[in-house]
Amino acid sequence: MGMEQMDAEVVETVAGVARLLRRAAELAWMRSDAAGPRSWRQLLALGIDSAADEALGVLPRRARLDGPTPVGDNAAELLASADELLRRICVVGAPSRLLGLRALVAELVWEANTGAGA
Amino acid sequence: MPARDRHTIGELLADSDALARETLLDATPENAPAMVRSWNQLVASAVHLWAALASGPDSMSGSDPMERLRAVGQAIGRSVRAGHWPGHGPTDDHLSEISDNLSRARHLIERHDRPSHTANTDRHAHTPDIHGQVMHTLYVAAHGTAVALGAYVEELQHRLKVGTRRRQPMAERPTILEITEAQGMIARFGGFEQLAAAYMFGQPLRSGDPGQLRAAAPATRLETALAAWEVQAHRTLAAYPDSADLVWVARVQALIASTTRIVTEAAATTGHIDPDLLQRLAPTLEANQVAWSRLAKRWGELTSPASRTDPAVVAAASEVRAAIAATATNQNGWATPDQLASRVDLGNTVKTLHLSMIASVDIAHVARDTAADHPGLTATARIIGMRAQGEAEIAIEQGETRYGGVRWTTPRQISANEVIPLPEPARRGLINLTEDVIATTKQSVAAAAQLDPSGVTRSVRSGPEARRGRLVERRQITHPPGPWPKGPRR
Repeated sequence: MGMEQMDAEVVETVAGVARLLRRAAELAWMRSDAAGPRSWRQLLALGIDSAADEALGVLPRRARLDGPTPVGDNAAELLASADELLRRICVVGAPSRLLGLRALVAELVWEANTGAGA
Repeated sequence: MPARDRHTIGELLADSDALARETLLDATPENAPAMVRSWNQLVASAVHLWAALASGPDSMSGSDPMERLRAVGQAIGRSVRAGHWPGHGPTDDHLSEISDNLSRARHLIERHDRPSHTANTDRHAHTPDIHGQVMHTLYVAAHGTAVALGAYVEELQHRLKVGTRRRQPMAERPTILEITEAQGMIARFGGFEQLAAAYMFGQPLRSGDPGQLRAAAPATRLETALAAWEVQAHRTLAAYPDSADLVWVARVQALIASTTRIVTEAAATTGHIDPDLLQRLAPTLEANQVAWSRLAKRWGELTSPASRTDPAVVAAASEVRAAIAATATNQNGWATPDQLASRVDLGNTVKTLHLSMIASVDIAHVARDTAADHPGLTATARIIGMRAQGEAEIAIEQGETRYGGVRWTTPRQISANEVIPLPEPARRGLINLTEDVIATTKQSVAAAAQLDPSGVTRSVRSGPEARRGRLVERRQITHPPGPWPKGPRR
């Protein structure tokens, strides 16, 4: 299955993932900036930015991103929600790019829940 | 194809190096603007000659250490073409002649096939020297241009001082803007010179081609990722970037500043560098990180849901992030000094990161040019209303009269939150924030001058102190590095 052949439900789900990741990135940057110039949280925030960008890249060009702003002020929880959504659509035969996004988000969930990222 | 050249490749290169030395000896203020205008052409000729040669003996397979220098040369050329100082005008005869020599050398090589592809083992043996000679010529010419620029700035400052004292009409005095822009150019040439020096004085530059990232050995991952990042940042900024691209550039640069701070601290703690260096460098790196972060936030305000980043810049940024994570972190955050020391050669890694700071001087200048010139910059009306008004009020307080009573958005635009072109005051805010980035980057580079790959203490500052330092260097550098035509050793 190619990107352009994704059905409407999958497209809607990935758009939701993109919104979750964007909001998670905002929160991560706020936390990183608040922690000062030596904060290692920059790495996590940059990673979430990268995942959000990849989610946008997975979507077909015509896809709309409008939708409700995700509720919550915890980047780790938003990442976990994004991971959950991706699990639902990453079934056998899913595009490899989508599977790659899922792997990236899963890694970020782990980063956000360990050490200084927690 | 030009007419048959009576000179040999060696003669052309020797003549080029001699001409570069002459630029140093004859560096006068009036030459400086023309030298800047000629720079991109000179670098382009060197790049083409370099490409016509076989790979150097110490380079990774297929690597191209000239790529970073090309990115800086092209960025300077674009800046001049866009009308920034020194703007359009005559070019420099010396540098043009060097450029011509290098092009002729390339034609000779191409006519006789590449040196490594011939059966002439003698010429093959000299290929590394040709690389060294080309790099040395660029190094000396960059230094000569920086010296001429230093003299130019001094003269402008003197004329401004005298003009102010004698109350000359404003039109007859140099402007502060011209002095600032020429000082910025000194920093860019200083960076170029040090990147060339890194190749010549024993720290070969890694390939700047992002496509070669995956081929890099694990030990060089950080160095390779940083080199590729610099080139990609230049490429993306050169191609009408989206605001989102600027956010990426600024965020990655902030991360590099933080990483440099952490690794430098580890190197000082474990005795790899002088602890005094950390005392000088740490505050400037933190200020630099903060400046880049502020700039990222401001660019971030200008992004819209329709913003799309250049996939290549995201890929290069992701590799920098991954390389830093693998090198300098553990499960709890930044790695401890002992962990870092067990993973990498801290002395060399500090130098690598310092070189990246040097290169970021030019990236910051390109970001400033983008803020000033990019015709496609837009933002939503509400953001523009807020930012333009705020910046306009600051400018009015500083004596700017053009902004008084100007409305930057219409009620209709605000109501619909339309995406509209960025007005001048909002650009001015971006430029001011980028100036902070440039200033703090230069402070970091100056504070870490003892890590200079050439081993010669230098500074990117202008003014009498820096000028004296350069005059000492001028005497040092005019001595050939070895018996000609052997060229500089690596």
